Amino acid sequence: MTEQEFLEYVQSGGQVETDDWMPDDYRAKLVKFIEMHGNSELMGVLPEREWILRAPTLQRKLALTAKVQDEVGHAQLIYRVVEDLGKPREQCLEDLISGKSKFHNVFHYPTETWGDVGVIAWLVDAAAIISQKALLKCSYAPYARIMKKICWEESFHILHGRDVILTMMNGADEQRELVQEALNRWWAPLMQFHGNPISPADDPMFQWRIKSQGNEEARQQFLDGYVPQIWELGLIVPDPKLGKNDEGVWEYTEPDWAELKHVVTGHGPQTAERLELRKTTRAETEWVRRTVLAEAA
Amino acid sequence: MSERAQLLLPIADDELVLGWRNSEWTGIAPFLEEDVAFSSIVQNEIGHARALYQLVADELGTTADALAFDRSPDEYQCSRFVELRLVPDWARTIARHWLYEEADEKRLEALKASDDPEVAGLAAKIDREEAYHRMHAQMWNERLAEEPRYLEALEELRPLVDGRGDHTREFAALWEEMTMVRRSVAGATW
Repeated sequence: MTEQEFLEYVQSGGQVETDDWMPDDYRAKLVKFIEMHGNSELMGVLPEREWILRAPTLQRKLALTAKVQDEVGHAQLIYRVVEDLGKPREQCLEDLISGKSKFHNVFHYPTETWGDVGVIAWLVDAAAIISQKALLKCSYAPYARIMKKICWEESFHILHGRDVILTMMNGADEQRELVQEALNRWWAPLMQFHGNPISPADDPMFQWRIKSQGNEEARQQFLDGYVPQIWELGLIVPDPKLGKNDEGVWEYTEPDWAELKHVVTGHGPQTAERLELRKTTRAETEWVRRTVLAEAA
Repeated sequence: MSERAQLLLPIADDELVLGWRNSEWTGIAPFLEEDVAFSSIVQNEIGHARALYQLVADELGTTADALAFDRSPDEYQCSRFVELRLVPDWARTIARHWLYEEADEKRLEALKASDDPEVAGLAAKIDREEAYHRMHAQMWNERLAEEPRYLEALEELRPLVDGRGDHTREFAALWEEMTMVRRSVAGATW
């Protein structure tokens, strides 16, 4: 099969298995994309982990612990897919810590209050599930298969997040303020989440059918699904231009694409601190991995 | 407070506080597999605390959450052993895990033999989950059996297992943190 034939094959809906022949460029793009997904699941644990200790009821503590556990489990599954493509998990973790590989923009920001915990679980996970559902049709079949389990679990996170938000919105004024402030903080990162509106024709991830939808299409889907719900709760979206035009397309203030680029290249407000935490805890537990691996050898 | 409440509260407090402490490993355990395993253990521990508090709460006319969160720090009856903040020391974490499971097994055996059918029934239910914690602790106890820092940790922690009464200084900080959101808006539902 030539590279051109392979391209036509995936563009007509064909799927590829681990042992099938694939062009080097396709393999490299897959590794980069899937590794970033794994990194994001793992880094996504950090904004929430500190709030596990602060969860205000036993039920919330259980739900948040279970959610974070799912994310670590997703990282485990996803890194295994990367491993089968030729890059070991330990190498992925090293590259993550050194800043060589990337993770999603939303995980570079601080979690200021319990309101943020709700907004992350509801809206960040909602944005993520839109991207992940589109991966169910990924041309790389092993990745598409694990996405079924991941999407299923993510849908529970959204329910948990929505419940946290609803409870606060039905509570005291101070609680509603916490939610509104959190929404104000998270709106810009959420609008940047699906990436700049590059045309699918120019997006190599779409050309190889690693992704099956364009960035703008995903953002429109997010706005369509969630803005009405946000409004219904009495929250204000911090964008005066946001609205649906006569053609049914959402219009909004142009997101700050320079900020997105700056953040994902390792310069977000929490990037250094979170990578440092990974680095130090990894160093502190190095002896455990050495001991276990020596026994296994 | 009834005899039953006096019996169950220290156990519930142990499970709650140990669950809180173990959750500090979430996201930073030495292996992803251990991260997932410790999260499961945490969920069980918090679930056990909740069930035990519920039995007491029914009797006292309050709720499990109120018992877990709304008492002052000096009202908690957990042992100093579970209060210790051990992260990121895996050797001491596993030593505590192993010693706690060992002591908890004996305590559950006694509860299972209780004349109080509700207490005995709950203990049996808890013990079915603890059996997996014991397997996990056993596996790590074997893995680290020749590791000097693990053996030192066992020596250090063994005498502390049932030290009750005064709290450690670390407990005050833990209590502050675990109740901060709840205390931030008086009487709110979360």
